[in-house]
Amino acid sequence: MTITTHPTASASVAHESPTVRVLQRSRRDDTASIPTALHCEWIKVSTLRSNVTILALTPVIGVALSWILATFVKIDPDTDLPFNVGETFIFSTWLTTVLAAIVGTLMFTSEAQHGTMAAAVAAQPARWVTVASKTTVAAGFGLAMGILGMIGGLSGAILGGLAKGDTSGIASTALWGLLLTALAPVLGLGVGMILRHSAAAVSILLVWAFVLENIARTLIPVSTARYLPFSAATGILGMSSATDTPESIAAALTPFQNGVLFGGYAFVLLAIGTILFYRRDTD
Amino acid sequence: MITVSGLTKHYGDRIAVHEMSFDVAAGRVTGFVGPNGAGKSTTMRMMVGLTHPDRGDVRYHGVPYTRLLRPARIVGSVLGAHCMHPGRTARNHLRATAALSAISADRIDEVLREVGLESAADQRAGSFSLGMRQRLALAGALLGEPEVLLLDEPSNGLDPDGIRWLRNSLSAFAARGGTVFVSSHLIGELEMFADDLIVVGGGKLLAAESVSSTLARGRSTVVVRTPQAAELASLLHRGDIEFDVSHDGLSIRGTTAATVSQLAFDHQIRVVEIAESSPSLEEVLLEMTSSVTEFASA
Repeated sequence: MTITTHPTASASVAHESPTVRVLQRSRRDDTASIPTALHCEWIKVSTLRSNVTILALTPVIGVALSWILATFVKIDPDTDLPFNVGETFIFSTWLTTVLAAIVGTLMFTSEAQHGTMAAAVAAQPARWVTVASKTTVAAGFGLAMGILGMIGGLSGAILGGLAKGDTSGIASTALWGLLLTALAPVLGLGVGMILRHSAAAVSILLVWAFVLENIARTLIPVSTARYLPFSAATGILGMSSATDTPESIAAALTPFQNGVLFGGYAFVLLAIGTILFYRRDTD
Repeated sequence: MITVSGLTKHYGDRIAVHEMSFDVAAGRVTGFVGPNGAGKSTTMRMMVGLTHPDRGDVRYHGVPYTRLLRPARIVGSVLGAHCMHPGRTARNHLRATAALSAISADRIDEVLREVGLESAADQRAGSFSLGMRQRLALAGALLGEPEVLLLDEPSNGLDPDGIRWLRNSLSAFAARGGTVFVSSHLIGELEMFADDLIVVGGGKLLAAESVSSTLARGRSTVVVRTPQAAELASLLHRGDIEFDVSHDGLSIRGTTAATVSQLAFDHQIRVVEIAESSPSLEEVLLEMTSSVTEFASA
């Protein structure tokens, strides 16, 4: 007989094989495993057609949007001035932000949905390593999307024959835009970690960004509405919105304040998601 | 090798696993059996840190799973054939798995060859049959050249050739000193290659013993054809031996053909035919778990 039963935990004795020495992990080992976890996350992100397609679509959207504005719209309805390269190149970044948030969401929900998260947790029990590597890769992917989207936006504006305009603020606008596209997938990741369901998480994210927040802006005071997450995102880009009023423009936060606010939303959602990731059983 | 101690898990008021304690020895194949809802999958998920136990722990060479350094190099697990993204190719699925545990990429082709998926390496997992997904899941478990394999229903979806391949692979793995812990509903299949059994029901441990010990629990039946059935029945009744009367003889339980034939010879009872049948492992296990089966067929 090679199997023995133990009626209680206290009666059990671990089998220590004299020939086998099993190493226990330490915090230092966990930290040292971050590069391998990053490599794993990069493989996961880069080997899915959906991510590659989204990345390829980003500059296409940038080119198309700028070119359409330059060719067919021509005049900014908010200012009654012609569009120029200096302001038009950033317009597609709003859509890039939403797409990047969806990519971040799917980085967790698709793993929960397809059971690969179970394999990841079994292979890397230090869950914070998984969260850190996903966050880093998500932010990097968002950054890449932001760069490609802006290159596309710039190309479309030039191809559409727009005047250069005031280009003194291009660099700072681009940097704020890249911060936004890097933070957006982190926010999406947090939403995904909380909800764990692809369709539910993406739907809520889209409905919030395109519907609920716009409705909320019309219902709540401007002094409160400016703190909503996607209002902050718009504020980071320095873009005007169709729902803007003189009061809302006067109450607008600075790009730095908006950046801190949007980053705060992203990291609070990520923190809640991380706590739940630790507490919940992994499917 | 594996020590499960006092493992307990409740979901609300429902007890999924209660005070489960057993050891699993190295160099043997241990079957994990029980009816649906017996707590097998929950136990196995707790064994690899996916489900948090309310109480108890699981140790590998004395170390809790969640404290193992590079656990995929110690324990390879397959807890479902669907643990792969359908949009990722088999090779990329294994690349990601290998990268997470710092396993050399050279192992990918080796395990693909080992599970017979070499030709499908660059196909997306979404196009795989259930059997192919099982093989890919097993390839992922084998990547780290682990000492222990934990497999939950690994033969689901495999064709007869696949089942035979799995049986031989697991037996060979154990023969090399590895520990195989495998749950299965295919008891007849398990009987062919398991050395030991952990039998559970209603979330509790019912038995932990060798397959031969489990088989010995089954009471054999001796069927006797005799023209003197009434006389033999009288003798059995006096000996307090259970039996049923059929149209041309007796079915006697809990004894052996040798005992019955000796009894008949001693009392000059003519026996036309005598045969002894032993219950299968499946029949013994059904008997063992009948009182704790949650979802019984009509």
